[in-house]
Amino acid sequence: MRSRFDEQLVLLNKKMIEMGAQCEELIALVADSLLNSDIESAKKAKSQGHEIDRMEREIESICLKLLLQQQPVARDLRVISAALKMITDMERIGDQAEDIAEIIPFLNGKTGAEFDDFKLMAEATCKMVTDSIDAYVKQDIELAKAVLEHDDVVDDAFGRMKDILIKMISEKKADGEYAVDLLMIAKYFERIGDHATNIAEWVEFSVTGVHKGA
Amino acid sequence: MRKKIFHSIFTVALVVLLASIGIATSFLYDHFNNSQQVQLKEELRIVTDTVNNIGIEYLENFNSSVFRFTVVDADGTVIYDTQVNADEMENHADREEIIEAFESGEGSSVRNSSTLTEKTFYEAVLLENGNVLRASANQITVGALVIGMLPAIFVIIFIAVIVAFFLSLTMAKQVTKPITNLDLEHPVDNVAYEELAPILTKLHKQHKQIKKQTKSIRRKSEEFDQIVGSINEGLVLLDEHAMVLSMNQAAKKIFGVNKDVKGDDFLLYDRTSKTSKAICDALEGKHSEYTEERNGSVYQFTVNAIESSGKVLGVIILVFDVTDHAFAERNRQEFTANVTHELKTPLQSIIGSAELLETGLVKEEDKNKFIGNIRKEAIRLVTLINDIIRLSQLDENHKSATETVDLMTVVNEVVEVLDSAASKKNVALNVEGESCTIFGVKQYIYEIIYNLCDNAIRYNVDGGKVTIKISNKSGSPEISVIDTGIGIAPEHHNRIFERFYRVDKSHSKETGGTGLGLSIVKHAVQYHKAKVSLDSEVGRGTTVVIKF
Repeated sequence: MRSRFDEQLVLLNKKMIEMGAQCEELIALVADSLLNSDIESAKKAKSQGHEIDRMEREIESICLKLLLQQQPVARDLRVISAALKMITDMERIGDQAEDIAEIIPFLNGKTGAEFDDFKLMAEATCKMVTDSIDAYVKQDIELAKAVLEHDDVVDDAFGRMKDILIKMISEKKADGEYAVDLLMIAKYFERIGDHATNIAEWVEFSVTGVHKGA
Repeated sequence: MRKKIFHSIFTVALVVLLASIGIATSFLYDHFNNSQQVQLKEELRIVTDTVNNIGIEYLENFNSSVFRFTVVDADGTVIYDTQVNADEMENHADREEIIEAFESGEGSSVRNSSTLTEKTFYEAVLLENGNVLRASANQITVGALVIGMLPAIFVIIFIAVIVAFFLSLTMAKQVTKPITNLDLEHPVDNVAYEELAPILTKLHKQHKQIKKQTKSIRRKSEEFDQIVGSINEGLVLLDEHAMVLSMNQAAKKIFGVNKDVKGDDFLLYDRTSKTSKAICDALEGKHSEYTEERNGSVYQFTVNAIESSGKVLGVIILVFDVTDHAFAERNRQEFTANVTHELKTPLQSIIGSAELLETGLVKEEDKNKFIGNIRKEAIRLVTLINDIIRLSQLDENHKSATETVDLMTVVNEVVEVLDSAASKKNVALNVEGESCTIFGVKQYIYEIIYNLCDNAIRYNVDGGKVTIKISNKSGSPEISVIDTGIGIAPEHHNRIFERFYRVDKSHSKETGGTGLGLSIVKHAVQYHKAKVSLDSEVGRGTTVVIKF
């Protein structure tokens, strides 16, 4: 019975890493196709998003089965409950990356790369997602904390980006549709950053048993 | 062990105890029976004599708790009894001993009482008056005797348990001590039970065998580690559950690991979907190959199944660093594009001029200018082709005849050739140093110096200076070309030795040159196993030093 439990925990960990890697690749793909205005690769985002949704359901059922059949306690319970929370965040990251990918064709070949803060947001968000997954894989609290700190970079860049766009619209320098699209993408990046932060917090919880929000 | 000893001691004790009780009881019981019977007979004889003499009245005074006397007349009626009133007793004519006594004068019998705990011995004698006198005595039966002894037996069993327990404890200790103290590392050195000797010898042999095998396995695995560790390609072996069996140093570097990874899930170190899929495929026996970029290098992954008799035992991942290859591929593509462009430009110019001349659109006085143009472009084409030929010669690494070359002589030759070009650009040419000889190919050394000086003049400023310095510090000849020209920005330093690479991207004809000069220098320098170093700053000038 126990060895089966351990096997299932190993499987859970494996699936979590796989799902994390999927998110990582999706956000990298979306950021890449956004900055290079590559509509073809943006189209691939949808199927990858579906794959992430499927993995979420799979992991969810593994977790529930473990909770019901094995009634884990202490660390195991923490790992499983943290996994349940993390997949929600991962799934949200996937959805929002998909949303960005949907906007790309409407940018008409523009990339937003002319704004340093926009580029910074795209790159910093990708790094946050990668680092949060890395923190999970290596169970590295230091890296998780670094992700939490990195969130401020994305938030600040979003604030600056917003100001720039407001200024542009008010001075009638920019095409309104383009500006709004950029603002939405920037907001999605900011949200993805928040989800990566959540993942990092849950990593910390599953290792130490203390959640930041508590 | 102790339990077993305890059981056997206890069983032996119990069996001995019960057997001795049984035997003793039966012997003693028989003995008592006999003596009682004898006593009863004796008593009866005495009483019979007395009754024959005195008459039945004697019995009235007889008082005994052990013996009981009864007188029965010929028809079996009880006349007298010493313990019970004779009138209340039933007829005794059918009693065995009475019948016997009437028949033969004497009779005896034994009867159990109704409760089975007692039995009664009877002895009867025919009196002189024709009556029968019977004596009887009670005795307890064996069963009752044993039941009476039970508490004592239990006490003894209890004591036997305790004694067996302690005895087994000490015995087990004593018996097992030599066994537990066996030195299993050196089985044959033990002095223990001789019954163990064959086992110990066998153990010793197996010990030796295992040691030998372990040693050979370790040697093999060390050999494997050595070989795998020293190769530059990353090598990872996974078992059938994708757990890492071994990962060599190169692979650790590629995947960014710096600890022992044996037994870990490979997913921890590479979670890209390409790799996951490749491993999944390999576990199904499929081969896959893909390239991936990691930390600025390009790697080619080859993932294969390790199979034995149709069963997949694991996965082998080979990672090659193909950065140089990819770089070379890019260079080759650029070279082809460049060379065609460079060859085409002068030809287009020639064709254009020739067409204009052919159609007679050129005025008579301009004809010479156009023909001169054609000649100039043709010369440019020849120069370019010559450069390419020289480069390809150097590429093929032809062994050319080496000789003693005086650097100063070569420099002077170059200066002579370039003098006019220098004065045209108003650049002063200076030669410093003294004659110094090296062993090499004169043609190539000429190319080196010519191309460096040519560039130094070509990319100089009006009124600039070019200094060619030859030095021979402690036996290592060195030639430096120092100019005061436009200089090269740092981002180009790495690439100016590439073929057709131009700092000025427009490939402008203004400065001339084929874009192959420094490439030829690089190859010629490599041919001589010399080293070229570049020091340049935009606006200040360039210094190229070649150390032989």
